[in-house]
Amino acid sequence: MTIMRRITLLILSLSFLSLGLQAEAKTGEAIRYLPIQDAGRIKPFDSFSRETLEVVYGKTKYEGRKAHEIILTWMLSPSAWQSRKIFEVRNFQVLEALNLSKDQRYFSSDELFGTDRFTLLRQELQSKRETKEKLNPYFQALQRLENQFFVFSEVASGRMLKLIPPVEGDGWISVADFNEAQQASFLELTKKFVALIGVVAQGANSADLDKAGSDLDTAVGQFREVAKANNVAAYSVDTHINTEVHYNDFHPFRWAYIVYLLASILLLLVWTLNKDQLMKPAWFLMILGFLIHTYGFGLRTYLMGRPPVTNMYETVVWVSWGTILFSVILEKIYKFRFILLAGSLVGLVCLIVADMAPVVLDPSLQPLEPVLRSNYWLTIHVMTITISYAAFFLAFGLGDLGLIYYLRGEEKNREKIRALVTAIYRSMQIGVMFLAPGIILGGIWADYSWGRFWGWDPKETWALIALLGYLAVLHARLGGLVKDFGMIACAIVTFSLVIMAWYGVNFVLGAGLHSYGFGAGGIEYVSGFVAVHLLFVIYVYVYRRGKVAKLS
Amino acid sequence: MDSADIPIKNRLKQKVLSHLLVVDDMTAHGIISDKDWPPLIDCFNNKTLMKKIFKPLASLKLAVVVILSIGLLTAIGTFVEAKYDAYAAKKLVYDTVWMYGIMGFLAINLIAVMVDRLPWKRRHISFIFAHIGILMILAGSVLTMQYGLDGSMRVGIGEENNMVQVANTDLVVYSSFDGDRYSKVLEKEVDFFLQPPTEKNPLTIPAFEGEIKIVDYAKYVVPSRRVVASESTKTGAGLRFQVQNSNVNEVQWLVQRKPNQLAVQNFGPAQVYLGITPPKGSGANEIYLTPQGKDQLKYTVFHKDSEKPFKTGVVKEGGSFEPGWMGIQFRVLRYLPHAMEDWDLQPLEHPTPLTTSAVKVVFNGKEQWLLMNDMLKLFTDKGVYLLTYANRRIDIGFPLRLKEFTVDRYQGTTRAMAYKSQVAVPDFGETEISMNEPLKWKGLTFYQASFQEENGKPVASVFSVNQDPGRFLKYLGSLVMTLGIIFLFYFKRMDFLALKKKEQSK
Repeated sequence: MTIMRRITLLILSLSFLSLGLQAEAKTGEAIRYLPIQDAGRIKPFDSFSRETLEVVYGKTKYEGRKAHEIILTWMLSPSAWQSRKIFEVRNFQVLEALNLSKDQRYFSSDELFGTDRFTLLRQELQSKRETKEKLNPYFQALQRLENQFFVFSEVASGRMLKLIPPVEGDGWISVADFNEAQQASFLELTKKFVALIGVVAQGANSADLDKAGSDLDTAVGQFREVAKANNVAAYSVDTHINTEVHYNDFHPFRWAYIVYLLASILLLLVWTLNKDQLMKPAWFLMILGFLIHTYGFGLRTYLMGRPPVTNMYETVVWVSWGTILFSVILEKIYKFRFILLAGSLVGLVCLIVADMAPVVLDPSLQPLEPVLRSNYWLTIHVMTITISYAAFFLAFGLGDLGLIYYLRGEEKNREKIRALVTAIYRSMQIGVMFLAPGIILGGIWADYSWGRFWGWDPKETWALIALLGYLAVLHARLGGLVKDFGMIACAIVTFSLVIMAWYGVNFVLGAGLHSYGFGAGGIEYVSGFVAVHLLFVIYVYVYRRGKVAKLS
Repeated sequence: MDSADIPIKNRLKQKVLSHLLVVDDMTAHGIISDKDWPPLIDCFNNKTLMKKIFKPLASLKLAVVVILSIGLLTAIGTFVEAKYDAYAAKKLVYDTVWMYGIMGFLAINLIAVMVDRLPWKRRHISFIFAHIGILMILAGSVLTMQYGLDGSMRVGIGEENNMVQVANTDLVVYSSFDGDRYSKVLEKEVDFFLQPPTEKNPLTIPAFEGEIKIVDYAKYVVPSRRVVASESTKTGAGLRFQVQNSNVNEVQWLVQRKPNQLAVQNFGPAQVYLGITPPKGSGANEIYLTPQGKDQLKYTVFHKDSEKPFKTGVVKEGGSFEPGWMGIQFRVLRYLPHAMEDWDLQPLEHPTPLTTSAVKVVFNGKEQWLLMNDMLKLFTDKGVYLLTYANRRIDIGFPLRLKEFTVDRYQGTTRAMAYKSQVAVPDFGETEISMNEPLKWKGLTFYQASFQEENGKPVASVFSVNQDPGRFLKYLGSLVMTLGIIFLFYFKRMDFLALKKKEQSK
């Protein structure tokens, strides 16, 4: 897609926004809005399908077909999918144990589950679970495979499609347990769906498509009536459902990073070629991106009824938002230009990573663990701590730019380096200003809900270590122990502590009371990212020493 | 503001001004003292003895070294916790001389740097506040550590409890001559985790006859029960049996704690007892097995529809009989007239939820393992010793009754959304304890920590019980420190505006 087309699309989407959320769905897609109960909440069939396909296949589309079509056909004709390569397996050890080729990433149900080996591996996993030991990456991968198998067979059997609210209680009724009238209505729906798929496959003209589409929509409408008849109150969830489908379709964070990308390009031009006239459009794009970013964050807040800062994905989105905000504010004050550049680059990287790694950074909307169910504390403690990461991330981005200045010639850029160090110093101050109270607030929350102010829990300890790291840098700077280059190096090196507190505790250590945020994966990329930056610092340091030696 | 800010101040085009700003900022932080500022050189001559002593301790380099050491040590602690568990991290890192030493250095450094800046000026306010705040937090932590209580309490639904279990471990020895009345002969706090007993350096407890020795400690073991024959006649009988039909196949041990004390195995629709047979059945399907001499048992079968025995007989090891329900066959696999329980221990490198710790006890030349929070009976010719190695339990002086316990779950799942305990306390009345909503009473705070489930149903609620005399100081310290940070920004702005004004008036 060309950039121009993307911009046009963006403008179109924004005008769509102004029309409000209740916009009409495309014909044949009413099924996406069907409420379904899954993982402890009511969601649109669209989200359910995307998340389910994601679990099994690792992507939200299969061969260009939308998730809801794929998921429905799994249930309608599971046997047709037996030989399709829809299961993503990435762990080599698991592939080895299954006697499968390591060159492939996707496998069919026949290949994976057709042999006794899978049963043996499941038993192995079960006995490992019984020891209650921590699962290593191999067993985690096995667990994922088991889950993929489970999800696929539950969808295929219809047990996972809980589409009708119960008359009493709160567990919805699945397709497998429908009564006769419900079954008839659902059968009608599936017939129309199959008809539509058939029409699409034949490549028929648009009139036929429209007809088949609206037939399906009517059938969906009738099914909704049947479902609603069971329990009107439990089925009155349209506003949330519509908003969520809109959130899925619009994909606000993707648009945000596209706009940030454009802004970054302009700002890079300003930075390298001194094209000052581009500053204005760059500002415009930054603000536009920031608005979309904020809008997406707002949508998520509305959908979950809480600040979305409870898993890695959500904090990455929130931290990048904070970085952009701080960079805009500091840029407004100092007008150095590179602050905005650093901010847009950090925001861009964060959002792209969040969008590209759904297996590690789970973007689905998940219910909360009991201990986090306090919006008040969640807002003030988690948001304060993570927003400080944003300021440190900005200092980190600025540090990278600073190293480039050193490579481009320390003497001629002396003024700029000094300005840059000022910006780094300010960012670090902002970070400390949020992190210190954030840690104290965390202590107060812990005291309030666990009964101790401080318990050396790994998460709180690493947040403290990060704070101590930045305090040491700020004190050393004030005492003259650290000069300009030292500040730039520290901005990058000290951020490793933040990465440890933010990512490392949950994904590497995996210990402690903050166990609701634990995850797996991505360690090689994150440590690579840190290592590359540390090497970059060392390289510039050596380069600079060499120059100084030559001069003397 | 520091030298790096100069480009911005270029708009003021005042090199002198920016220099002043830097100096002022540094003094505001207490980084350079007044003596570094030529106009106040007088201070230099008035150095007191105190200052001379504190000078080296007030150095910025020491501060940076202390900060980095705390960071490094606690970082190690988190890795220890990830590898082992929170208890190991506490024992090996956080509750050690190293940690206390560094914290002590921090306190000395903070005090020294404040003494060094005497006499304080208005611009020192933020620096004083921040540093005093940290000192207060440290002092509060010392109070908590010395006088606080931090434990947990498990209360079954419908039951009450007044004992709080804490992390300290005690070794307690009781003795008895008749096997019924016990008197405590020793209570000793032990820390086997850090000071494990060994063969060469055992913990010896004198006894009337010989001595009890603790010769080994295993940190992480998965125990599995085993029953062995006992030489002492004061132990009860042991029976290993099999219950089998086409659907069921169960093999179980029954061990009496004392001779003639009833031991029971409940299978739901039927119970198996080892002990004295009552004259009448209780209206359930029951099998009673009563030891008769060294190698045989008398069995009595009751059916639920009659009080009278349905069947009686004698059975030996390897023998079997049919109790007459559902085609079940009852087989005696092993019979020990005197049996005792022992543990098979499988040592692990790392703790898991299934591991516990254990000590090896030697008495009268025999070795036995005693699990943490379990007890061990040692028989002599004249009496019996009872040995426990357990977490200390502290009486809080009043009972907490759990009237009701509810778990809310996310719709259509078994995932817990929230859980709450309805509790009653004498003189206080009834209240609800839930996540983030503790109960405060008589200086203690009860928090909802977790709950225990059996077969998908909650059976008990676990509270964390806590008393923290350092709390007020810690909160005050946090407030003072935060004020210090706010003042830092506030006064900087004031300094900046004052200088700007001065500049303009020139």
